[in-house]
Amino acid sequence: MAINERELAELVNLHSTQKLDPFKGVKKLPVQEYFTSGHRTCQGCESALVMKMMVKAAGPRTIVLGSTGCMYVANTTYYSTAWVVPWMHTQLGSSGSAALGAAAALKALMRKGKMKDEPINVIAFCGDGGGADMGISAISATLTHPDYNCLILMYDNESYANTDIQLSGSTPWGAHTTFSPPGTKKRIMHHRWKKNMAGMMAAGHPECRYVATVDMSFPVLAMNAVRKALTIGGPTFIHSLDPCPKGWDYDPIQSHELGELAVTSGVWPLYEVENGVLRLLGKTRDIAEGRLKRSPVRDYLNRQGRFAHFTDDDIEYFQSKVDEMWNKWLVPGVIPFRKQVEEDKPPAQG
Amino acid sequence: MSRLFAVEIVYRGIFQKKLAANISRAIVLAAHREGKPGISFGRYGDSPERNGIPAKYFAIVATDETTLEEGMARYEPKEVDVTICVDDTLFKGVESWAWYGLQPINKLTKAGGTLIVTSLKEPEELIPLAHRKQTPYKLAVLKGTPSFSGLWVYKDDHTDVRILGVIAKVLPELFTLRSVQETIRKEWKNELKATSAQRAFERIGAVTVPAGQGNPEVPYSFEMPKWTEMREGIAIPAIPLGGKMKDPVTGEEGGWKPGRNAVFKKWATRTMRPVVDFEKCIKCTLCWLQCPDTVFDVTPDGFYDANLEACCGCGVCEAVCPEAGCITMVNETQFKDNASQWEAWRKDAPSYQKHLADWIKDRPERSHGFRFRGQYEQELPNEFARQG
Amino acid sequence: MAEALSHPPAPTADTGDQTSLITGSEAIAVACKLADVDVITGYPIRPYDTVMQYIAKLVSNGEMDCEYIIAEGEHSQFEIVKHASACGARVFCGSSGVGWMYAMEALTVTPALRIPMIAMVGNRALDDPGAFGVEHNDALAVRDLGWQLVWVDSAQEALDTALIAYKVAEDRRVFLPCAISCDGAFLTHSQAIVKIPSQAKVDRFLPRYDRGDLLLHPDNPITVAPQANEDWLMEIRRQTAAGMERSPGVIREAYAQFGKVFGRDYGNPFYQEYMTDDADVVLVGMGTLSNPVRVAIREMRKEGKKVGFVRVRWFRPFAAEELAKTLSRFKAVGIIDRDFSLGAPYSSGVLATEVRAALYPVANRPPLVAFICGLGGREVTLPDVRNMSEKVYAAAAGKPQPSTQWIGVRE
Repeated sequence: MAINERELAELVNLHSTQKLDPFKGVKKLPVQEYFTSGHRTCQGCESALVMKMMVKAAGPRTIVLGSTGCMYVANTTYYSTAWVVPWMHTQLGSSGSAALGAAAALKALMRKGKMKDEPINVIAFCGDGGGADMGISAISATLTHPDYNCLILMYDNESYANTDIQLSGSTPWGAHTTFSPPGTKKRIMHHRWKKNMAGMMAAGHPECRYVATVDMSFPVLAMNAVRKALTIGGPTFIHSLDPCPKGWDYDPIQSHELGELAVTSGVWPLYEVENGVLRLLGKTRDIAEGRLKRSPVRDYLNRQGRFAHFTDDDIEYFQSKVDEMWNKWLVPGVIPFRKQVEEDKPPAQG
Repeated sequence: MSRLFAVEIVYRGIFQKKLAANISRAIVLAAHREGKPGISFGRYGDSPERNGIPAKYFAIVATDETTLEEGMARYEPKEVDVTICVDDTLFKGVESWAWYGLQPINKLTKAGGTLIVTSLKEPEELIPLAHRKQTPYKLAVLKGTPSFSGLWVYKDDHTDVRILGVIAKVLPELFTLRSVQETIRKEWKNELKATSAQRAFERIGAVTVPAGQGNPEVPYSFEMPKWTEMREGIAIPAIPLGGKMKDPVTGEEGGWKPGRNAVFKKWATRTMRPVVDFEKCIKCTLCWLQCPDTVFDVTPDGFYDANLEACCGCGVCEAVCPEAGCITMVNETQFKDNASQWEAWRKDAPSYQKHLADWIKDRPERSHGFRFRGQYEQELPNEFARQG
Repeated sequence: MAEALSHPPAPTADTGDQTSLITGSEAIAVACKLADVDVITGYPIRPYDTVMQYIAKLVSNGEMDCEYIIAEGEHSQFEIVKHASACGARVFCGSSGVGWMYAMEALTVTPALRIPMIAMVGNRALDDPGAFGVEHNDALAVRDLGWQLVWVDSAQEALDTALIAYKVAEDRRVFLPCAISCDGAFLTHSQAIVKIPSQAKVDRFLPRYDRGDLLLHPDNPITVAPQANEDWLMEIRRQTAAGMERSPGVIREAYAQFGKVFGRDYGNPFYQEYMTDDADVVLVGMGTLSNPVRVAIREMRKEGKKVGFVRVRWFRPFAAEELAKTLSRFKAVGIIDRDFSLGAPYSSGVLATEVRAALYPVANRPPLVAFICGLGGREVTLPDVRNMSEKVYAAAAGKPQPSTQWIGVRE
C-alpha cells in the first residue's frame, strides 16, 4: 500500500524557520553587525568577511557553532571574542554534529514546552580542512536529516590555514604549503586536485534542500544564499571560497579582486541547488550563457606566491583542467562525470 | 665573565617572518663561531602569525652553556640588549593579542641598550612616536624601506644581512663583523651580502635617546582575574550590539556604530591607514561592506567613517571604492592619533580637506607582499638605491 | 537569560512502583524515560547498544518524547549531545570499547565545557583483538579528564544510579558529565527483576536541567570556549577541578535524598562493604565480579576464613581518605582489576594503583596485593576468588608476594 502524503508529512516533523527575504541590493542591507572588529585575523582576511556577512544575513536570533580553525583561533583568542550573537567552539571535524545537536536541542525543548517557541537560526561553520577532510562524514550525516533546521557553512581558504598553512583535500594542484614545498627533487609535491565538495554534497544528499557556492566578492549573492539556506528548512550547506593573503601569499589589498578573478576565470563556479534544481549565478551564469569569456587562469595564478614556482607548462595544465571542468563535465562546474574517458596529462616533474 | 645576551626582532607577522627568522638564526650562528652557544625562537604565543600583526623573534646567546640555561624554557626574555624593529610603523606600539594592550616598541630594551630600526625617516621623526622610557637607550636607524614579503616568496633585499652588520657595530661583545661575514658566506654563499653587511656596519650611526623622551602615553596594563572571578564553563560575555552615531555639529542621531572588542584593537597592525574624501564619496556602501574588519561606522548622514581603533590597514576599501581619490591608503607614521575623520570634516571641512591633501602626499610605494611574479626582482634596484 | 527556559510542569499523581524483567541496559533506558531526556544519540557497538535499541522502542511507541538521532560514528554521536546539552537539553549517550575510544576527542572536551552529559559505558575489551567481553579499560580511559565514573553491579542499581547521576551531574556546583559502567554481557544482556519507580517519585527527586548563565541562546549572548593561552588555561582547569572537588558532597546529598524519595538506601555511596565487620582480609573490585566474590566469601566463611569484600562504585571522584581508613582495618587487601595498565608501577592494574596511592599517607597501611583477573570477559570463578584470597592471607602473614599477579591465565 502506498504511503500517503499525510503520513509522509507526519514522518518529517520540521520546526518553522525564520522568514529571511533576499536582499535586493547593497543599499538595502541592515547596518547592524553581529560579528565585529577586534579579531586577530590577517589583513585582508576574506574568511573574516564571510563571518561578518553570514551573521549580517542571519540576524540576531542566531546561534553559531565554530569549529577549530582560523575562524576559531583568530576570532576568539586569548579569552576574547568578536561575536555579538551566542557562539560556541566545536571540534575540528564536528561542524555537522554541532549543528545537529544544537538544532535537535532547540526542537526538543520547544516542543516539550521547556523553552519559548521561536525559530532560531543554527549555523555551524568549518574550514576546508575541518569540513571537506576530517568532518565530511558528520556533515554528510547531518544533511540526511530532514527534521532539523541548520546551516553548515564551509569557508574554504584552500589549506589548513590556522596551523600555518598545510595542504588539505581542498588545496589546488601544485600549491606551495608547508607540507608541499617545491624542492629541487620534487617541484610539485601536491599533485591532488581539489575535492568537489559542494557538488558532492548536492549530488550525494538529494533530500537536502539547499546547497550553494558563494564568494564574498559577490556579497549580495552570498548573503542571499545564507538567507535562503536558513529559511528553506532542513539541513543546508554553503561552500565559500575565500582568498587568503597569508596562505596564498599576496598583498592583502588584492583580496577582493582575487575573489572576483576566481569566479571570472571559471576556477570557482557560483551556483545553488534549491530543492534539486540547479541554478548558475552571477558571472558564472554569464560565462555559461556566453555573455562573458573566462579570463585566463594565468591572471589568477600569477598574483599568488603559492604558485610562484609554476612553469608555463604547469599553468597550461591548470588551465586545461579548468577548461575540462567547463567543456567536458556533465554539468559544467558542478558534476564531473564525462561521457568519454580521456587521458590526464600533467606536466613532467623537475 | 659570564653573560647572557638577548636580541629581539619585532616584526610584522607573515610579511617579515622569514626576515626575522633569518636574522635570529644568523645571530646564533655568528655568535657560535666565537664559541658562544645560543638558541633562536619565535615567540610561541604569536603563532599562528597573521599578516601584519606584530610578532617577535628572539635570539638568546650566552658566554657558556650553563649561563644559557637562564634563557631556556621561557616564552620571552625579561629584557634585551638589542631590539630590532624591521618596520618603523611599529614605533607607535606593538599589540600582538587581546588583553595585553598596546605595548612600547622599546619595552624590553634594557637601559643603554640599542633599538635598531629600518626606516627612511630621521631619528628626530621616529623618537616622538615611541613610548618614552625611564632609562636612556640608543637609536640606530638603518636607511631603507621596511622589507615585506610573504610566506612563500622572499624579498631578498639584504635587509637581514645589513642588520647583522649593524648588530656587530652596536654590540661588539656579541660578535664581530668578521663572524657575521663568515656566517653569511657559509649560510648564503653570497659575497654581495657580505659586502652589504660591511657597508651597514661602516655607515650606521646611533643617537642616544634620553630617559623620558618620547610618547608620554602610559601603556595598557591590567590585573588578570583569579580563577574564582572568572565565569565557569569557559564562557565570556559577547560583544554588545552597538548603537546609533551622533553628529558632532547638529547632534542628530542615526547610522550605526557597531560594538567593538574592548581588549583587542588591532590598529597596531597597520602600516597604512585609509583617509576618506567625503566630498567625493557617493555612498555606494562598498568600503563598509567589503571591509573584513568591520571598520566603518555608518554616519547619520550616510557616510562611512573608518574607525581607526579597528583598522588593520589591508587596503581593500581603497581597492573596492569606485570613485578615484575618495579613499587613499597613506603612510601611518604621519599620524599621532586615531581621531575620527568624519567628525573632523563635519566640524571644519576646509581644514580637513587641507589635511587630507597633505596626508595623501605621504604615500609610500606599497610594499605589502606579493602582487605578481617577478615583483621583488623588479623592486630590488630601487631598494638598493635607497639603502645607498 | 534563563527566560529562554519555561517553567516546570505541575507534579503528576503518584502511580506507585512497577516491577519488570529487564537487563541493565534496559534499566538505564527506563531511567532516561523517567528523567524525560530530551536528546539521545546512538551508534551501534556491542554490548552497550541494546540500551539504544530499547530507547528506539520507547520512542516509536510514544513512551518517550525525545530527539533520537543515530550518528555516523561515535565521535559525532558524543559531539551531537554535547552541543544539545549546551543549548539546554538533557542528554544521554553511550558506547563500549573502541567505540568509546573513537569518541575520545569529544569525551575530552565535554567535562572542560562543564557539560553534564550522562553516558552508559557497556564495558568491553578494547581492540585489538576485537572481543566483546567485559574489561574496564574503556571507561577508565577518561579518568583524568573530569568525567565522574561509577560502576554498578545490578540492573536495579543501574536504573537508580542513572537517576542519581542526572541529579549530581546537573547540579550547578558540579556540572560535570558522568559515565555509568555496566559490565558487558553480565549486566548489559542479563534480565533481572527491577523495581521501576513512578514518574511522580522521579519528578520529586530530579529537578529540570537549568544551564543558567551558561545557556547557549540568543537571550544570553556569550562566547563559549574561546582559544586560551598559558595566562588563562590554568585558571580554567582549576575551575573544573573545583567542580570535581565539590562532587563528593553533592553525591552524598543525592543518595540521601534518593533513599527518602524512593525508599532504597544505598548506604555509603562510594563503595559497598560486604561481610567486612569481622574480616581479616578483604578483596576490592568493581562491577559484577561482586557476584562470584560474594559467593566464594560465603563458602570460605563456612571454612572459618573471614574474608570480606569492598565493591567500589564511584571511581571518580575517588573517595581516597574514606577508603584508606576502611581498608586499614584489615590485615591485608587484595585488589581485583578487571583492566590492565601496561608499564604502571609494579605492573598493577588501574584500581590497585589508585588504592595504593590512597593508602600511601596512612601510617598503618596494610600489605596490598594486586590481581589482574577476568580480562576479555573471562569469568571470575570461585576457584579464582579462593586463589586470590589465599594470596592475600599469605601477604597478611608476612610472606612475600609479587606485587601484581595475573589470575586465571593459562601458563
